[in-house]
Amino acid sequence: MNRLLVAGAVAAALAIAPLATSPVLGQQAAKTWTAPKTPWGDPDIQGWFSNLSENGTPLEKPAQFAGRSLEDIKGDELTSIKQAAQNRTIESFAGPLHAPEDWWQKDLNMVKGSQAWLIIDPPDGKVPALTAEATARQAAAAEARRANPRGPADSWEDRSLYDRCITRGLPGSMIPAIYGNSYQILQTPDYVAIRYEMIHETRIIPLDGRAHASPKIKTYMGDARGHWEGDTLVVETTNFRDEASYRNSNGSTLRLVERFQRVGPATVKWSVTVEDPKTWVRPWTFAMPLTIDDTQPVLEYACHEGNLGLRNILSAARSEEEAARANK
Amino acid sequence: MKQRFSVTLALLAAVTFASIANSASAQRGAPVRPARTADGKPNLSGIWQAMNTAHWDLEDHSASPSQLYQTGAVGATPGGQGVVEGGEIPYKPEALARKKLNFAGRLSLDPEVKCYMPGIPRATYMPFPFQIVQAPGMILMAYEFASADRVINMGKPVEAAVDTWMGTANGRWDGETLIVDNTGFNDGTWFDRAGNFHSDQLHVVERFTLADQDHLLYEATIEDPQTFTRPWKISMPLYRRVEKNAQLVDFKCVEYAEELLYGHLRKDPSK
Repeated sequence: MNRLLVAGAVAAALAIAPLATSPVLGQQAAKTWTAPKTPWGDPDIQGWFSNLSENGTPLEKPAQFAGRSLEDIKGDELTSIKQAAQNRTIESFAGPLHAPEDWWQKDLNMVKGSQAWLIIDPPDGKVPALTAEATARQAAAAEARRANPRGPADSWEDRSLYDRCITRGLPGSMIPAIYGNSYQILQTPDYVAIRYEMIHETRIIPLDGRAHASPKIKTYMGDARGHWEGDTLVVETTNFRDEASYRNSNGSTLRLVERFQRVGPATVKWSVTVEDPKTWVRPWTFAMPLTIDDTQPVLEYACHEGNLGLRNILSAARSEEEAARANK
Repeated sequence: MKQRFSVTLALLAAVTFASIANSASAQRGAPVRPARTADGKPNLSGIWQAMNTAHWDLEDHSASPSQLYQTGAVGATPGGQGVVEGGEIPYKPEALARKKLNFAGRLSLDPEVKCYMPGIPRATYMPFPFQIVQAPGMILMAYEFASADRVINMGKPVEAAVDTWMGTANGRWDGETLIVDNTGFNDGTWFDRAGNFHSDQLHVVERFTLADQDHLLYEATIEDPQTFTRPWKISMPLYRRVEKNAQLVDFKCVEYAEELLYGHLRKDPSK
């Protein structure tokens, strides 16, 4: 009797399973879910978020997907791509010198990644061509490096702003790394605040329609202004410092327009439109979901305070020079 | 005749009304913010800053010169009234000796010089503004200095998972006062530029009370049995930055401290 009941339950579960994943049911579920509102009536996008599962997704559309759209690549195909990416990530950290595995490997869940690449516009999934001005600017920078060659660790200034624990900039601060991919969004009627665990950034975005700060005030994270467009928070950020301007763009003319839209019980869709007429021939947009995850609160990341890495990189470089001189 | 009279009356009324409306908005200045949040709590949201010399020395102190003569008057310490209740910090004798060493070596020892996160309560009264974002269930305090911040948990109290620079903060309302209980500190931060310090046994209980729209009373009770003979308290008003365009401007000071911290590791081109 008991065995019969169990068998019946299994059969019922099997019958339900394919239905649950059918698009029709999925749409019905989407219709019954209504986006939450804050007590004062704004769309509610608050919470702790993680985008660890989106780690390793290429920005541009890989050549292997030529002729296919982002929506086409799903299910087993997507899972196998993500599994391969996860394997590559773990392999890339193999070797004698690397961070302890338990810092990050057990949490890595790239197999849950939701897309095969990030750029949604232009349709070819590629970063648009550089303007002539940007080509000349980048060539001049490369020439300056050739004229005055430096080693990889002559000083801290030869290391990245990330190595130096200064900033990952924008949109870099929201791009997942192997650990520390927790974020928090908080709202009031006048402000939205976004906190990034890596490497401890806080953006406080006014919603009151005020003008941007003077162009003379430049920062690594830029000057952000936000407003609601229907159910979407639109954040426009300008006034970047050149050293941190995204993909070597022009900090004074770069304008990033982010959109945050709650599209499901645990999902906020985040997109970024990148615009800099001095760098790209047209604006372009990439997107990535942020997943609400209360088990991943933002912890204090005292990157600079504990930056033994930079100290060791510099002292190791000096030791190598010393050894080379001794061998002469 | 009758008509002209009523037009005049109407004009008079309009002029009177307009001037009343004008004076009312002139008195208000900036638009009045709601004094309470949607959940009925006092609304502490805003940009705040201390206006005293606590950051140079929590205790009463005279003006004094900089340790670096090159900075002239710019680097000198302004004298000022202390903010410690009873005047003196109740150090244990061995801790007082350490405080004096800290003061003597402050140019290399003060964590502020190295651009380290300032900890609590120091972050509150540095000569930089900080912003309170009072969201439902969570209160963010973001500090201009070193991009430091902390989130005050207003739900069920949580234990500090590990020791940190900014501590673990649990908040609750006691009538009109926000009480924040802070634990889980490391021993890396100081209280001021005078070398006042603590151990990792630090426990700080803060009280924030709006005196009026633009003044926030701040108190912190400091307990650390390893360093002090008894708990002691500081108090001061915080002032709202009322400028219409007030905003925090990133002060990412790491790059200002790198030569100091890593200069000895730079490649020597003469070798």
